[in-house]
Amino acid sequence: MAFREKIHWVAFVTMLLAFGWYFLAFPWRDAASPGALWTAGGMLIPLTLGIIVAMTVATAIMAIRNRSEVNLAEDERDRAIHWRGTHLAYYPMVVGTWACIGLIFTGAPPAILLNLLLAMVVLSELVRIGSQIWLYRRS
Amino acid sequence: MARLPFTNDIRTLRFLAGEMTQGDLGERVGVTRQTIAAIEQGKYSPSLEVAFRIAHVFGKPLEAVFQWENGTG
Repeated sequence: MAFREKIHWVAFVTMLLAFGWYFLAFPWRDAASPGALWTAGGMLIPLTLGIIVAMTVATAIMAIRNRSEVNLAEDERDRAIHWRGTHLAYYPMVVGTWACIGLIFTGAPPAILLNLLLAMVVLSELVRIGSQIWLYRRS
Repeated sequence: MARLPFTNDIRTLRFLAGEMTQGDLGERVGVTRQTIAAIEQGKYSPSLEVAFRIAHVFGKPLEAVFQWENGTG
């Protein structure tokens, strides 16, 4: 497996685990309370740091094990794969944005809006990275 | 992925060029080894520029490296 592909796997698994934990652990019963926004913020700070640390460590280990590929410049196939992945990720992002706009008019609590936005960003990222992994294998 | 409407003789040409590796060819063309492998396997359709560069490495015309398959659009 190429270095670039491994990095994509690291990002995909890290995002899935980190945000999987966040959405499972978030106290949904209190989501409408005024403090829920701060609860979300308090969870997101260590989560973001955890993602940064996990990805940095994993990338460094893979870079050491795949030294010859680390400095390889992106070529036309890599760029095509990235464009297609980003294009596919655009759809969940747009759907999520419109859903959020709709929820604003229903007077949804801020923590719910924050979590919806977050879910759409995470979903879009998973679609982008996941499709790029698939395209690395199939194209 | 849809099957490409052309085949190629890159593997044979590499062999005839002193068993050139995919990595060597990729380096000379300016793409990664994985991209050469994908082109060889008919999974990836290269740009015209890369196709010409590959042909140039082997000192062959483009049609000696890539062949349009009869019966395809």
